[in-house]
Amino acid sequence: MATQTAPARTNGKATTSATASTTADKFITADDVIRVQDLHLNFYTTIGTVRALNGVSFNIPRGKVLGVVGESGCGKSQTGLAIMQLTPAVGKYEGGEIRFKEDPETKQPVNILSLEKNSDEMRAIRGNNISMIFQEPMTSLNPVFTIGSQIEEAILLHQTKDKAEARKRAIDVLDKVGMPNPERIADSYPHQLSGGMRQRAMIAMALSCTPVLLIADEPTTALDVTTEAQILDLMRGLQAEFGTSIMFITHNMGVVAQMCDEVAVMYLGRVIERANIDDIFYNPKHPYTISLLRAIPILGAERTETLESIKGSVPDPYSTVTGCPFHPRCPAHMPGICDVTMPDEIMIGDRHSVRCHLYL
Amino acid sequence: MEKKIGEQLLQVSGLKKHFPIQAGFLRRTVGYVKAVDGIDFYINQGETLGLVGESGCGKSTTGRTVMRLYDPTAGEIIFNDPHQGKIHLETLDQAQLKAVRPNMQIIFQDPFSSLNPRLTVGDIVSEPLSVQGVARGQALKDRVAELLSVVGIRPENMSRYPHAFSGGQRQRIGIARALALNPKLIICDEPVSALDVSIQAQVLNLLEELQRKFGLTYLFVAHDLSVVEHIADRVAVMYVGYIVEMAKTSSLYFTPKHPYTEALLASIPKADPRDRHRPMKLPGDVPSPANPPSGCYFHPRCAYCEDVCKTERPPLRNIGDDHWVACHFAEKLDLKGVKHSTDGRVLEIPKPLPGKGPKTVDAADTMVA
Repeated sequence: MATQTAPARTNGKATTSATASTTADKFITADDVIRVQDLHLNFYTTIGTVRALNGVSFNIPRGKVLGVVGESGCGKSQTGLAIMQLTPAVGKYEGGEIRFKEDPETKQPVNILSLEKNSDEMRAIRGNNISMIFQEPMTSLNPVFTIGSQIEEAILLHQTKDKAEARKRAIDVLDKVGMPNPERIADSYPHQLSGGMRQRAMIAMALSCTPVLLIADEPTTALDVTTEAQILDLMRGLQAEFGTSIMFITHNMGVVAQMCDEVAVMYLGRVIERANIDDIFYNPKHPYTISLLRAIPILGAERTETLESIKGSVPDPYSTVTGCPFHPRCPAHMPGICDVTMPDEIMIGDRHSVRCHLYL
Repeated sequence: MEKKIGEQLLQVSGLKKHFPIQAGFLRRTVGYVKAVDGIDFYINQGETLGLVGESGCGKSTTGRTVMRLYDPTAGEIIFNDPHQGKIHLETLDQAQLKAVRPNMQIIFQDPFSSLNPRLTVGDIVSEPLSVQGVARGQALKDRVAELLSVVGIRPENMSRYPHAFSGGQRQRIGIARALALNPKLIICDEPVSALDVSIQAQVLNLLEELQRKFGLTYLFVAHDLSVVEHIADRVAVMYVGYIVEMAKTSSLYFTPKHPYTEALLASIPKADPRDRHRPMKLPGDVPSPANPPSGCYFHPRCAYCEDVCKTERPPLRNIGDDHWVACHFAEKLDLKGVKHSTDGRVLEIPKPLPGKGPKTVDAADTMVA
């Protein structure tokens, strides 16, 4: 399967990609850690094709936290996995590129999709320059190895060949993530730790090689609210200390508001709005973003009669929706336009873009 | 339509549920997980009592023990039936329970595992009706169709299987099943935590609508405090098998009296980027209910802990206006609740307006997915 992972292809949609790239250019800064441009990803399964990503574009300026939000099935996790080249074997990239720039001066950007999944170059990036934290700390740690040995594995692979040194660094990083008694934790197995402790161990593992980019895929969704507060606090502290850029994937608007500098809102494999954090919450433009914000109960609001909800649900992944993917559920749907044409991404402010016919 | 809140429908006092820990070849009991350890609460007819707490605090066990899905270790569960008077649920045997069950139903958290994949939706919803012998034949079919349309599922879908439905629709099917026997009390065990935000709002609205329509009483078990604030009339906060605070929703959220409630409220990430705060640090983890600390279970993590807290467990007491707290210093502490958000919404979101005329679109831009 790996042999078929082809480099970025350009298909016949020259006009579309030209307009898309001019809009995307407005977001480009002098020093982006990662630039994802017009990424297409399909899953070819026995019962049909799932178009998981249909032209995802975003970029993360160095040292910033980008929030990627959306409902289940919108492709936010697949985007994260694509950057790590961890896409399942049935997934095929049908175009687009992911440019990763490790160092602002010395290194040239690398197109991650042009690398083979198992090549040495990709392995040198994965887990070293880019690392990932997963949602379920229980299922993503190996139950038969100690926490310490799992952290040492990454260090031995990327940083040093000296086992004693690796052990020392593992304990250091466990200490950094606020583990009480890091020596003891290094010798314990995942089942001996609580959910919050396991997520700390995951973060320690991800940070062990001081990555340039950290992809956090719903890191607090499985945790309780008090533990979540501790983990968010920890991530903020570490981000300030190391200046790591973070791609923060979540569906919780509260977590986004507290953690992120910029936000990309995704729906059915497309980024439908991106802006800085303040614009997303105080000046949202896309009807989907607005509806999403209206659907969450606000703490401290005296009880209102009903919550606003978005009618219907996310369409079946095997089906295809013509025009704007949100139009069947959209409160501002304009027949004859929205169900026919997919709106292009347009700029409506400084670092604020939207894909919606209302603003064309 | 206003909700009518009446007399007490359910009274629970001194309820305990201990699970034995067995070890060794002879499966000897070496200890107990005190999942629920002596709790008292009541629910009035027609109201929603929210039960919140962190995972492992015993909130789901409480719901299931009240339903007698688990047999209580100790304590009383009294259900006030309008016709039969007070029923002591903890004393009933299986046959007697079957007679009471139509009055109380449960909605489960995970809509993917709580519906039998081999039964059609019609079979799932009609099962309680046929078990209780309420209806059969065409009458049964009609009742199922009615129930499905009440929860917003088209009755034509009766012969389809659960896998054909999305998470939100499955949760609606679970709700239809719970409604089948016209229950008075419904225990909602995290009914929306497995759902996406937009679907969560739909299901919460449905639950509220059904409550007004049928005068239902809910015990709403959840860990999302914003959701509970929205739906509950009164809220009880649990910590390691014990209710630490119980009060009207507004007084619990705006003027909490227990340090744990304060910490819990301060931990909620606010959906407002202009109000970023470093949450109050609640050190450590929730203690194990198999080996809880001495005195007040919260004392090792409490910022206001004093010597008496380490030795004496404070009882749940009424400090006025139906505000119940289990803390030695409830009256003395000045705790912070959540801030009022002024006009009901922090965010003034513009309503999107339809009505821009058709645009001339370059054919090359047309992308048919």
